[in-house]
Amino acid sequence: MSVPEHVPAGLVRDFSYWTAPGMAPERGGDPQGALAGLHDGPPVFYAPNNTYDGHGTWVFVRAEDQRRVLQDAETFSSHRRLFEQALGEDLPTIPLEIDPPEHGAYRSLLNPLLSPKRVMAMETANRARAVELIEGLKDRSRCEVMQGFAFPFAVGVFLEFLGLPQSRRDEFLGWADKQFHGTPEERGEAIRTVVGFMRELVALRRREPADDFMTFVVQATVNGQPMSDREAVGMGALLFVAGLDTVAAAIGFNFRYLAETPEEQARLRGDPAAIVLAVEELLRAFPTVLMTRIASHDTEFDGIFIKAGDRVSCPSMVANRDPAEFECPNRIDLTRENNRHVAFAYGPHRCLGSHLARRELVIAMEEWLARIPSFRIAEGTAPLTYGGHVFGIDDLELAWGEKAVAA
Amino acid sequence: MIVRVLREKCQGHARCWAQAPDVFVLDDEGYITPGDIAVPEDQERAAWRGAKSCPERALVIDDGATAA
Ligand code: HEM
Ligand code: SF4
Repeated sequence: MSVPEHVPAGLVRDFSYWTAPGMAPERGGDPQGALAGLHDGPPVFYAPNNTYDGHGTWVFVRAEDQRRVLQDAETFSSHRRLFEQALGEDLPTIPLEIDPPEHGAYRSLLNPLLSPKRVMAMETANRARAVELIEGLKDRSRCEVMQGFAFPFAVGVFLEFLGLPQSRRDEFLGWADKQFHGTPEERGEAIRTVVGFMRELVALRRREPADDFMTFVVQATVNGQPMSDREAVGMGALLFVAGLDTVAAAIGFNFRYLAETPEEQARLRGDPAAIVLAVEELLRAFPTVLMTRIASHDTEFDGIFIKAGDRVSCPSMVANRDPAEFECPNRIDLTRENNRHVAFAYGPHRCLGSHLARRELVIAMEEWLARIPSFRIAEGTAPLTYGGHVFGIDDLELAWGEKAVAA
Repeated sequence: MIVRVLREKCQGHARCWAQAPDVFVLDDEGYITPGDIAVPEDQERAAWRGAKSCPERALVIDDGATAA
């Protein structure tokens, strides 16, 4: 644990997203709630070993400060070389690791594909996907939600978006499982597989254009240049990493919350129109993503000297519990209005898939509540939750109907 | 009531539009159309909620003469 010279000792804290209380995998844990206490401490501190590969980071606690950091992409670069270690090369995951102004051209290309209006056009197919999965399991009285519903649903929507046949679902599920829940070696292998898959898809769509996402991407021109293979592969791989685990984890946290609050569950079942607002509050309470930036030049932030190359971490789950931004931040109020949460980040890298993700979460909850009677955490089980690089939930056993007689 | 639009701050969250689609018009990419918005009286409440829901604080309410 080495602390760089420019970091004053008084700002160093023994903290990491892996080892702080509530971060390690735990049955029945509450990793987002566990970090709310950071608001009792300094607004900015330095954690000497706070990334999966052992780097130190500054941690910005307050929502307003995170907004300032994330809106200032010129000072705080997003090019963090996410895949370099696993791939042995720096494949820029576009648009996440491209900074403005180049970033804007890629976003202009991609934004219309995931705009609110475009997402509305996908609604029917996405809803049918959820209904089919739930119909297939509702006659059982119990289900492990992550593998039984959340991941298959998220992957199904993703395949639909990429224009790939649903028959590839199991293959994608396998990669997703390794990528998000495997050992470090399995993760590396999974990301190489995904990148390999995207390479093939790029080559295929150059040879045989179709009416789908990858054809659109490979035929596009950005900043006056035709799209290169490398760029197209980086884009496809990022979508895989960004759009599956996040959605599945959010479904897991949402359903767990409803299982543990039967009165809220009953209220939403009786008033489905209230689900849209409830999903926003659950996004505030249980977000999963840490925004990481790298200082591109020396800078000062409220008297703190930040050196070029320093990593800066903006944990969305902490900003979302900021008492200066939210009234009673630790109270989960599914009717909360005025909810400017940061689950999808602030600034130019605002989640490209946020409009789709929101609809996925709403559809999942609507269709689940419409089909599954009053459900609870299955007797004798507790979901496995964890902090770390992306917060998550590994398994969630729900039961409904008669209480099972103990076997 | 006027809503001042700080277009360079808009990142296309579309929260304003979700609250008041008739007041806040988005372009094809999902960002707000530039230009301040004069809000009709019967839309003021929805517009207020929409402006308050912008995570980037790109929408500033100017209730001018009708300041409460
Ligand atoms: C509940 C689900 C989701 C959550 C909580 C989430 C959260 C986020 C966050 C916080 C960022 C910003 C990261 C940063 O600035 O460092 C981000 C970026 C991104 N997300 Fe999502 N996301 C979700 C679903 C999706 C989906 C479904 C897709 C794709 C269809 C997607 C695609 C992306 C992309 C491409 C970026 C990079 C945008 C850019 O850099 O301009 N996300 N997401
Ligand atoms: S809520 Fe704010 S950021 Fe989002 S579209 Fe409206 S003005 Fe833009």
